Amino acid sequence: MSDPVVSCRGVTRVYAEDSVPVHALRGVEFEVRRGDWVSLAGPSGSGKSTLLHLIGGLDRPTAGDVLVDGQSLGELSESQLSDLRLRKLGFVFQAYNLIPVLTAVENVEFIMQLQGVGASERRERALATLERLGLNDIGDRRPGELSGGQQQRVAVARAVVTDPVLLMADEPSANLDSSTTEDLLKLLRSVNEEHGVTIVTATHDPMVMDFAKRRVRLRDGAIERDESTSGS
Amino acid sequence: MSPTLLLQLSWRNLWRRKRRNGLLLAAVCFAVGGVVVMNAFIRGMQVQMAETAVDSLNGHIKVHAPGYLDDPGIARGFELASEWRPESLDGIDAEMVVGWASRVRVPAVVMSERETRGVQLVGIDPAAEGISFVGDVALDGEPLSGVDDRRVLLGKALAEQLDTAAGRRIVLITQGADGRSREAGYRVAGLYDASGQGLEKAFLFTGLGTVQKLLDATVVTEVSVRLTEDRHGPGVLQRLVNAMTGLMVFTWQDLVPTAAAFHAFVDVAMLMWFIIIMGALAFGLINTLVTAVMERTRELGMLRAVGMRPRTVVAQVVVESMLVMALGICLGVALGISLYYLFLADGIDLAAFAAATEHFGLDAMIVPLLLAGDVWLVVWLSVVFGLVASIYPAWRSVKISPLEALAR
Repeated sequence: MSDPVVSCRGVTRVYAEDSVPVHALRGVEFEVRRGDWVSLAGPSGSGKSTLLHLIGGLDRPTAGDVLVDGQSLGELSESQLSDLRLRKLGFVFQAYNLIPVLTAVENVEFIMQLQGVGASERRERALATLERLGLNDIGDRRPGELSGGQQQRVAVARAVVTDPVLLMADEPSANLDSSTTEDLLKLLRSVNEEHGVTIVTATHDPMVMDFAKRRVRLRDGAIERDESTSGS
Repeated sequence: MSPTLLLQLSWRNLWRRKRRNGLLLAAVCFAVGGVVVMNAFIRGMQVQMAETAVDSLNGHIKVHAPGYLDDPGIARGFELASEWRPESLDGIDAEMVVGWASRVRVPAVVMSERETRGVQLVGIDPAAEGISFVGDVALDGEPLSGVDDRRVLLGKALAEQLDTAAGRRIVLITQGADGRSREAGYRVAGLYDASGQGLEKAFLFTGLGTVQKLLDATVVTEVSVRLTEDRHGPGVLQRLVNAMTGLMVFTWQDLVPTAAAFHAFVDVAMLMWFIIIMGALAFGLINTLVTAVMERTRELGMLRAVGMRPRTVVAQVVVESMLVMALGICLGVALGISLYYLFLADGIDLAAFAAATEHFGLDAMIVPLLLAGDVWLVVWLSVVFGLVASIYPAWRSVKISPLEALAR
């Protein structure tokens, strides 16, 4: 069995809303193995997005620890967390969140620019990734000139171009129709299977759950069920 | 994050709101251009006021006998060796001094056939008066030919009061060195047209030797020294104080304190003017930048989420501010310089306000003065204002939580 990319040990997250504590997560124990595609599922308020944010170092647990690629996030400062997100994680957001003033290829290059990759290597890798994902004909267009599906595919290209240890997608299909969602999921599957990128998604969408290799269902801040799927 | 990417992102972000940023750019441009023009006008007034004070028989430095300023008269005169020159003193080089002039100046009464007026009778060496307004004043008639010329020069305004003209005779009455009244008649050589009526009514000129003969004296009452540059003033002053024992040495600022006070105030006034204009502009800049930050909350949150450090987000806001300021400053300076050369360089005729300008020791024609140092000061202070104005928006940008921003 491969090493875990993500380990959650007794992760608890409590929010204080109007002085009333809200338990978003209650002592979650959870692992993601390298090369896996895990779909976090569950109703609103079940804690799936909270868990995704904790794994992504965007939030800190009230108790317990999260390890990413063997590194305990609780030991890291804010700037070290930023660095970890930059170098080891890839993000795909519900609203695409491409930078509107950059073209598609410049958006794909963006993370590499933050990492300090040289210009020629950056452009070469960005174009190769766009071609691999079937987006080579839209490289010079800005996000405003692209459909929702195209924007989300560019967002995937931006997330995977740096070969992250873990790709995280929060409701990636929320703004897409079913046909476009299927295209996107096939794309994620190829990224997962052909390039070995580990993926964690948080979703309500049954189609996304069906594409994942493993489905983790949360309810009231705890894991209710953890099962392998056929990955249809 | 590389500076190139920062610049690229910031530059493109400016184009996201063309109208809003265009208006802001125009505001910066007009503010900087206005400050450049106004500073040129104020600087021109300042220099002209100092020139007028120096020109009005004061020079940069002036020597009197003790008590002369309180009780001017030939009794407060002093002997000056015929070969005396300021350049002969140790520590004063010829290139520091434009020239110098010794004079006798005493109160007198001038009478024409019809009128009588009180004046300052000034005995001069016409050849030495290139250092004062007398040297290049417009004349209706003839100039004085030398120290022994027995004719007089009257100001036009005084001639009108006396109802006299060039070629006519006037009578002067004054007090001699022995305390007795002296009286003599002189022919008017010419009428001078000074920049203000105050000078024309105050001074009546004749040859230095002529006045000394009238007063039965060999002394002078003042020596004026004109310098090539203001910065030589303190050094030359100290040398003269050391050399002219028993005499009083003054700067023009000592002799015309109101002009000196205005001269000193101008630098402060220019700074105040700049702060008022740019201060008002800074609020506009802050407002625009804060709006831009709030509009891009989700985008900035995403940048933080994917690993952009807070200081890089701050840098992006600051660079955007600096780009607007840099463009606005360049255009504003170009606008200010263009306006100066198109409309101001030849002077502004304020003849309609001549009484007011004369009161402040100014000509009716104000010639604005554009100094490179003043323009650079505006440029750098504008950059500082731009930086300061970007602090609050930058602070707002780093307060954005990636989680909250992405949840929007």
